[in-house]
Amino acid sequence: MNSLERVLATIPGIETDYQPFTMLLSLYGASLLKTSAKEYYRNPELWFEGQKAVVDNFDPDILITPFSFPIEAEAFGCELLFFDKYAPNSKKPVITDLSQIKDLTTPDFEKSLPIRFFLKSTTLLANQYGKTKAIASPIHAPSDIPALLMGMEMWIDTLFFHHDKVKEMMEKTTEQFVKLGNELIERGATFLVVPVNFTTAMIITDRIFEMLLPYLEKAFSQIKGPIVIHNGGSKLLPFIDRFAKLPNVIAFVLEPSESFNEARKIIGDNMVLMGNFDGPGFANLTQEKAIEKTLKILNDRKNDKHFIFATSNADIPYETPVETIKAVVHTIRDFKKY
Amino acid sequence: MTTEEKIRILGDAINEGEKDKAVELLKDWSVQSGFKEIIFTVLEPMLIEWGKLWMQGKLSLAHGYLSGKVAEEFYMIASQSEEMLVADKKVKGTIVLGNIEDDFHPLGRRLVHIFAKSAGWNIIDLGNDVPAEIFIENAIKNQAGIIAVSAMMFTTAKNILKIRNELDSQLLSDKIKLAVGGAVFKLRPELVADVGGDGTADNAIDAPALFDSLISKVK
Repeated sequence: MNSLERVLATIPGIETDYQPFTMLLSLYGASLLKTSAKEYYRNPELWFEGQKAVVDNFDPDILITPFSFPIEAEAFGCELLFFDKYAPNSKKPVITDLSQIKDLTTPDFEKSLPIRFFLKSTTLLANQYGKTKAIASPIHAPSDIPALLMGMEMWIDTLFFHHDKVKEMMEKTTEQFVKLGNELIERGATFLVVPVNFTTAMIITDRIFEMLLPYLEKAFSQIKGPIVIHNGGSKLLPFIDRFAKLPNVIAFVLEPSESFNEARKIIGDNMVLMGNFDGPGFANLTQEKAIEKTLKILNDRKNDKHFIFATSNADIPYETPVETIKAVVHTIRDFKKY
Repeated sequence: MTTEEKIRILGDAINEGEKDKAVELLKDWSVQSGFKEIIFTVLEPMLIEWGKLWMQGKLSLAHGYLSGKVAEEFYMIASQSEEMLVADKKVKGTIVLGNIEDDFHPLGRRLVHIFAKSAGWNIIDLGNDVPAEIFIENAIKNQAGIIAVSAMMFTTAKNILKIRNELDSQLLSDKIKLAVGGAVFKLRPELVADVGGDGTADNAIDAPALFDSLISKVK
């Protein structure tokens, strides 16, 4: 069984030779190359070299194309701040007044630097590994992007009090989501990973979620491939029943404190569940503690054929010791699942 | 109508997204009972209860935002009333509050503003993206005992260290305490010390207790 077969087997629930796994090592590629994240997040060839180093060191079953919410927002005009050892951050909202939404333009894929970075990196990764490994492409939910373009508070305010502007904004972010999502699949992504940092019960009310659902349904139905919903640092369970009914959704990456058993009670036994090792918390763990946490998750999911071990939340930090990550990988490889 | 019923009705209005209705309810009840009575027995207990529910993950940030908007509007109305002008409660001290340089996530700060003001603090809110020297300048000008700084991201939280360095270099560290907060400090508690914070609170509702503790250490 190769990695791709191992990952795809979890969809029908076919027994695999060992537990498939993935880790969010997008930023960590820069650490392995001992290069600055500033150049890494601008240069697709360098980013690809980083991911090759990830494969050489850890050999995950799913490889993940560049993961950066701010770079997605940059495509709409947000200015970024770059750092040596951290993923880029957006400097300030691009929309400060609701009247500016009408002037917001979706990016030209030929000219947009951030879009070209996403697409070229995906092509390089898929060309090299697409036949043997699953390729996951993160793309944020169309309901989340506005939170970065205008700030969370203004987006919440808009959702409460300016429904006409919600429609105007969601039409633009949906158009971008569908276009970019399908282009990523066209270039070799096995599936899309859609983080919903904002569109969760930790951030919005049930009424707001209900208002956003038709937009998500419209967006997801136009995607020509499977979709994995990622927690993005928030809890998924309060809305997971409704996410599960959206078109093309096949799997969920749970937040580290969430219970797989609880999720199974809500969505049943057949959808794929992933998680839920805390990625950002990696750097603070001893090898022993990391192994202990890994075994706890593996034992919890021992009989679950629709399970993929994954890190949750954001990137594994740049300064995490290689040995700690390798200790987790070896624990997964040595685990007797069946 | 009992106080409990008023709290429930107010909560229902906010839960339904009916900000104006919630403010009108508070105004109507104040005509009968007075602003002070409604603030102390209805609005503030509801905010505290909702803060607890939010901490338990039972309410969203949007609930907090809307309840904060209701409180903000009602405090503004109440502050212009004759009753509140004469019955203003004792001010505990002054806090200079803001989001650190490059940080544009104001929600937590706004909630801290609401809860700290309710608890009797005079708040100088400097808004988003505030450089270290502006915090210091305003703290000196307003004789504040506390600078309270919010940051959501790890990358922006590191800018708080500039405030610590300024306080130390100007020999102000005994006179002005540095409170830090925001989502990143919950994820990485070691950051509080790394950026030179004198203390943090897990959430907005616990912020007044932190401020009480910090002000007692001011020399």
